[in-house]
Amino acid sequence: MAEARDKGWNYLLTHSVLDSAYRYPDQPAFRGGNQQYTYAQLAERMQQLALLLQEMGVRKGDRVGIYLNRCLETALAIYGIMQAGAVYVPLDPNAPLERIRGILRSCRVKHLISQPVQKRRLQQLVDGEALPLESIIGLKTDLPVKTISWDEVWEMPTDRSPAGRVCEKDLAYIMYTSGSTGSPKGIMHTHASGLAYARLSAQTYQLTGQDRIGNHAPIYFDISTLGYFTAPLVGATTVIIPDAYTKMPASLSQLIEKEKLSIWYSVPLALIQLLQRGILEERDLSALRWILFGGEVFPPAHLAALMEKWPQARFSNVYGPAEVNQCTYYHLEEPPLSGQPAPLGTVWENTQMLILDDQDREVGPGNIGELLIRSATAMQGYWGQPDLTEKAFYCMEVAPGFSEKYYRTGDLVRQDEAGLLHFMGRKDQQIKTRGYRVELEAVEHQLRSLGTVKEAAVFPYRNGSEETLIIGSVILNGSNGTTEKDLIAALGDKLPWYALPQSIFELSDFPRTGSDKVDRPALKTQLLEKIKQVHG
Amino acid sequence: MDKQLITYIKDELHAGDAGLEITPQDDLLGSGLVESMGMMKIIGFIENQYGITVPPRDMTIENFLTVEAMVNYISSRQ
Repeated sequence: MAEARDKGWNYLLTHSVLDSAYRYPDQPAFRGGNQQYTYAQLAERMQQLALLLQEMGVRKGDRVGIYLNRCLETALAIYGIMQAGAVYVPLDPNAPLERIRGILRSCRVKHLISQPVQKRRLQQLVDGEALPLESIIGLKTDLPVKTISWDEVWEMPTDRSPAGRVCEKDLAYIMYTSGSTGSPKGIMHTHASGLAYARLSAQTYQLTGQDRIGNHAPIYFDISTLGYFTAPLVGATTVIIPDAYTKMPASLSQLIEKEKLSIWYSVPLALIQLLQRGILEERDLSALRWILFGGEVFPPAHLAALMEKWPQARFSNVYGPAEVNQCTYYHLEEPPLSGQPAPLGTVWENTQMLILDDQDREVGPGNIGELLIRSATAMQGYWGQPDLTEKAFYCMEVAPGFSEKYYRTGDLVRQDEAGLLHFMGRKDQQIKTRGYRVELEAVEHQLRSLGTVKEAAVFPYRNGSEETLIIGSVILNGSNGTTEKDLIAALGDKLPWYALPQSIFELSDFPRTGSDKVDRPALKTQLLEKIKQVHG
Repeated sequence: MDKQLITYIKDELHAGDAGLEITPQDDLLGSGLVESMGMMKIIGFIENQYGITVPPRDMTIENFLTVEAMVNYISSRQ
């Protein structure tokens, strides 16, 4: 790998760090809390972690889990794992334990990188469970598996490169997202697709080594790839926003000021919280030059208000399912017209699109259809789920033996006369809440699988502050005394926190359509007054 | 006051997790014990229970990192 740097190769995500360490050794690469790694330090430490992983038997293509909150060690874990030729699997530390165990088993994760603050959860995770886990790095404690402290990692030699050949077609990471049956889908990305994203985003947003990027997203969310992949490519500094700041907007705005962030990328909700409770009038945030938002629709009134607060900054709407990283961009020249959300924009470079109807025929100009994407940034498929992978792609044979492969986004779009794409909803029952994807079918499925529940229906509700909430409704199996709280607590063992309904109403029956299906719109109307009372 | 706040966090935000222990010194924000909507609920509870208003300026890590910090903050406002 050292040779790669000398020869200027750049086809693996780890090459970016080695190259930046060669060119700007003392430039801060990642900052988090009150600590930082320069590029030289990161390059050295990722080698040490990689050597240790290899010594423990990790080989090319093996999956290594990351069980960390938002902290500096995430950067080390990501790059150390990839430097060992392995594949990083970021886990949501707050996800239900059963979900995490499922991922560990499915990916046959033998090694996990974690931290002392997760001790309680790790104990619960491994307690009495048959898991493939052999070791946990990042804390020294009493667990049924081997634990290794960072100090032990720093005893590894720094002058030796890890062995093994990796090429850009090898897997680099697997990111999990919700599936419609409740079992999560592992989106597989290679070094090539990750680096293609880094290159395209660096050019689209004109990032340079002078930039200081605010990374708000956790590493199991694809929004994090700008801070973790693109910044090292251009030698910029990524400031990892610690979890505590993501919950306290007034502290967050102070951090943005102190760190002189120039680039910000997050879901709209984080920006709305800054606008509403971040006391922006008391902060000097003039270093901010470009605000990227994505993951869900930014309510236009809030977006306009924020653009007024930060007139020096450009604002861009980012769109793309995690399966393709990103695929369209839209730079706002002026605040959105009242009530009109920002368009998705146009597909970026090295990317092609189709808009198809239900029969996979291209829709005419101005008509609504599903967006399909073919790009260098696209995933390989879903880990261990070949059937789902096949369904996710549309292959168009253009010559015998040669097909163009498009990813089916499931998003309905319309292209206007100016060529801009507009989001028109979903083909299925997927919604976005706080930027996270939630399959409402999966929530219904989990509710129905509780013994106390006979029937369940779930639908989204947009409250007065334009937040998308999940509302559930159930018919119980007889009057069994089950309360709303019981149901939500039981779901909490199966679903990630962001997929839990905010309210569940008990009914004796649901309104039905002619074919006896649950009439969700009618159900929503029926419950509307009650929902408004609780959620505004 | 410690006990009231801890009971609220355990019952309202972690219903069903009987084994959960929270001490006044536990980091609530960094550990994932409380997420951002949960924090808004806690602030709402504090405002109702102790008859104070918490302005955005005071919604900081220093004031809400631990139950102990919350108690100090509430006392300073009463």
